[in-house]
Amino acid sequence: MVHLELNKICKGFDHPVIDRLSLKVDKGEFFVIVGPSGIGKTTLLRCIAGLEKLDEGEIFIEGDNVTNVPPYNRNVAMTFESYALYPHMTVFENIANPLKALKKEDSLIRSRVYEIAELLHIDGLLERKPHEISGGQKQRTALGRTLAAHPRVFLLDEPISHLDAKIRAELRTQFHTLEALREVSTVYVTHDYAEALSLGDRIGVMGNGGLVQIGTAHEIYEKPNSLFVAQHLGQPSINSLEIDLIEEAEKPSAIAGSLKLPVDLNHWEHLKRKNITKCTLGIRPQFVKVVNGDQSSEDNSLELNGMVEVYEALGAYGVMITSVVGQKLTVLTDPEDKYDHDENIKIRIDPSTFNYFDLNNGVNLIP
Amino acid sequence: MKEISKTDYPDWFLKKRTGKNLIVSPAIPWLMVGFPVLILIAIVIYPTIWMGYHAFQNTSMMSLFNNNFEYVGWSNFYNVMTSDRMHESIYRLIQYLLFGACLEVILGTILALILYEMIKNELLRIVLLILMVMPMMLPPSIVGVLWKFLLQAYNGAINHLLINLGFLDAMERIEWLGAEFALYSITIADVWQWTALPLLIVYSGRVSLPPAIYEAARVDGAPTWMVLKRITLPMLKEIIAIAFIIRFMDAYKFVDKIYVMTSGGPGQSTELPVFIAFQKGIREVEVGEAAAYAWIIFVFAALLITLFLKYLKNVLKAQAFA
Amino acid sequence: MTESNIKLIKIILLAFLLVWIVFTLFPLYFQLITSLKPVAEINAMVPTFWPETFRPGNYLGIFADPGSLKSLMDSLIVSISNTILSLLLGTLAGYALARYLKGIVGENLAFWILSNRMFPPVAVIIPMFFLFDATPWGTDSYVSLILLYLVFNLPLATWLMMVFFRDAPRELEEASYLDGYTPLKTFFKITLPLVFPGMISVAMLCWIFAWNEYLFANLLTGTTVKTFPVHIPSFTQGSQTLWNLVMAFSMVAMIPPVGMFIILRRYMVRGLSLGVVKG
Repeated sequence: MVHLELNKICKGFDHPVIDRLSLKVDKGEFFVIVGPSGIGKTTLLRCIAGLEKLDEGEIFIEGDNVTNVPPYNRNVAMTFESYALYPHMTVFENIANPLKALKKEDSLIRSRVYEIAELLHIDGLLERKPHEISGGQKQRTALGRTLAAHPRVFLLDEPISHLDAKIRAELRTQFHTLEALREVSTVYVTHDYAEALSLGDRIGVMGNGGLVQIGTAHEIYEKPNSLFVAQHLGQPSINSLEIDLIEEAEKPSAIAGSLKLPVDLNHWEHLKRKNITKCTLGIRPQFVKVVNGDQSSEDNSLELNGMVEVYEALGAYGVMITSVVGQKLTVLTDPEDKYDHDENIKIRIDPSTFNYFDLNNGVNLIP
Repeated sequence: MKEISKTDYPDWFLKKRTGKNLIVSPAIPWLMVGFPVLILIAIVIYPTIWMGYHAFQNTSMMSLFNNNFEYVGWSNFYNVMTSDRMHESIYRLIQYLLFGACLEVILGTILALILYEMIKNELLRIVLLILMVMPMMLPPSIVGVLWKFLLQAYNGAINHLLINLGFLDAMERIEWLGAEFALYSITIADVWQWTALPLLIVYSGRVSLPPAIYEAARVDGAPTWMVLKRITLPMLKEIIAIAFIIRFMDAYKFVDKIYVMTSGGPGQSTELPVFIAFQKGIREVEVGEAAAYAWIIFVFAALLITLFLKYLKNVLKAQAFA
Repeated sequence: MTESNIKLIKIILLAFLLVWIVFTLFPLYFQLITSLKPVAEINAMVPTFWPETFRPGNYLGIFADPGSLKSLMDSLIVSISNTILSLLLGTLAGYALARYLKGIVGENLAFWILSNRMFPPVAVIIPMFFLFDATPWGTDSYVSLILLYLVFNLPLATWLMMVFFRDAPRELEEASYLDGYTPLKTFFKITLPLVFPGMISVAMLCWIFAWNEYLFANLLTGTTVKTFPVHIPSFTQGSQTLWNLVMAFSMVAMIPPVGMFIILRRYMVRGLSLGVVKG
């Protein structure tokens, strides 16, 4: 059941920011919007909240057309990146504010605030003022305030980006388990792609005024519909090489400088049909593996010699940049292996994991 | 991913109008501003027009009551612009603004910074601040009267103080309110009273500067004078400018102390432009000429304000609009 | 900069401060002792720097004239009324200018309002004299002063409130809208508490200017309404000014502004930073 619907909305300031963006979010769905800084994610949230008036388009919440409804009547809640806690009120009063606006009785307000405070583990802080609590606690207070009055749509603007890793992990878990979110549609904005992948039921990648791709984490990761999406999702970033496509004796290859890579025949079908001779090749570092001597090779994979340029051990995995016949490739490595600068290694890549993008507009050439 | 270039802006963007919001209807802010503005208009524009009208007549107080005055064209303005009295008063005004308003701002700033930087004891600082601000709390007319009292040539405390301190002989007296010194005496009284305002403003500004920068400077080991020059003063630049503008605006239409201390005399040696207008209008009841005076002063004020505003606009844009 | 050089400079600066304080205090001191002297001593050829005889009775003497107390009351009425009016109108206009009227029109409007402070009082007096004369309450009334003082207090109040409102984070108001409060309720529950220290300093400044105003009061009023600066010249005996009474009365009139400043100084200092730098 569609809970929140955006229909070709447009908003611009001194230049267009959101251009004919459409989106449908179901009840109980946790939709994450991800994209580089400055692209308009916050503006999008503000439009849904009613803090900005749309230049064109419509917004529907639970079927009601709220396009011209002011924010104080929309029953939408939002957390601000800066928390926006009222400095002259205590934590209790901050969380209670939306309930007071609805003129609920004091006893109801009190029980609800306690309920939320317990849920978010801030029940000990209720008498403190915002300047007396830490960042994580401020964040949870802001969260509590948005939850208090059972809004219909829940908007979260980079709610955990300013917190340290441990608290971020904790809050992420809470987002996963919060019952309240099952009743509403949530739109969550972040610039951290790992966070997006971990939290979202569906993810929308924002770029160029709209959502360039919408899908589950898996879909977007496996099948990015453009180079833009591919480059922004996935840590470390996808390898991209400009290649020429040639066919020698029925065997298609991708040439990048002196590097020659075979092209999977399934992909070649599509590429040949579109008469592509030049494009951008994308190889995810996850699919470039370092060969340890005794590993057996799979059928389609190719082994190449490479020399280590840079190696970073990052705890759960290692990132290595290796140069292969003049081209640099980023490789994801096992945490136990260590590599030295200028070390010679062998890497294995599987052409069926390649992605091909149009040279000019970056669109994925394989549907 | 290409950015949309300016030439491909979509239609809806080219057609859109700015300033719409869902929060309040657009009429409300205009109402909120409108009411006070209307009152100001009534109090200010009405007199302006009235004076504008009479500037072209040969009105005097009598003729106002009888309603008989004649159109005399630009002759009032001509008289004003060519009168030596006016020229000299302008010259004095410049003197007064330099040695009065400017000096007050400079002194106020220096004193505020000395007070803040060098007096570390909170209580002492507050006490000194209160003491230094007291002159501002008196009516300017009283301050004028007070200084007139002190500067009396024969019975005045100042002269006798100078004698006691040895700067003057027993029989010598300085004619503070005589033709030579009168303007300076008024300026001294003014500086005495109004240095307190820039002092208060700059001090308040200094108090509210973020301590983080100073801690960083301290960690970096920067010497005090460098901190002052490179950190404090630049950050206070806007506040000092605002203090200057506030002080300047008041000084420009300054009349109280002249009225009380010297009535423009002796002779006309302490007349400032606004005072002349005042004299003409109220004392000599040459309302027409007074109106011309007022208008010329007003036009000058408008020019000056425009200049100020350009500067202030940049200042405000930088910090408030951002 | 050597150590001793720095020390020398510090001493000079402190000395400068000290000199200024002495300069500031001397006239006030003299005012105080003059207020305690008898008449004869005041008119002596050689002024005394310490009263030969103390006459604290002067302070009671000034109230022998019922006009003295009335003048203080009149000043209080006019100054408080005008302050409230200026603050009210200034807050409204300041808020509108800070939040909504940000275009070219709004900016120019704000600056026009501010510029009115520079308007020469003489230009206002003559026409307003005739205007008020034609009204039922006349020129010699509370209303005329309360309204006229708006000429210099309203621009100040508007402009300062505008600056303070600009500093109040807009996000807090937006959060309040999302909580469900209308702009009106938000203004009272959220915005005003934020600018409250600023409002106090604006009120104080306006009040001091209204309390001390002399020119308009002198020219327009004098009988029905007589503010204290206008009352002062009445301390005469024949053609001689009774300086001791004048000084005593001035000291009494100084108590309210100084007292307010002492009590409200924290707000003044915080408010007057004019929001140029965020604390």
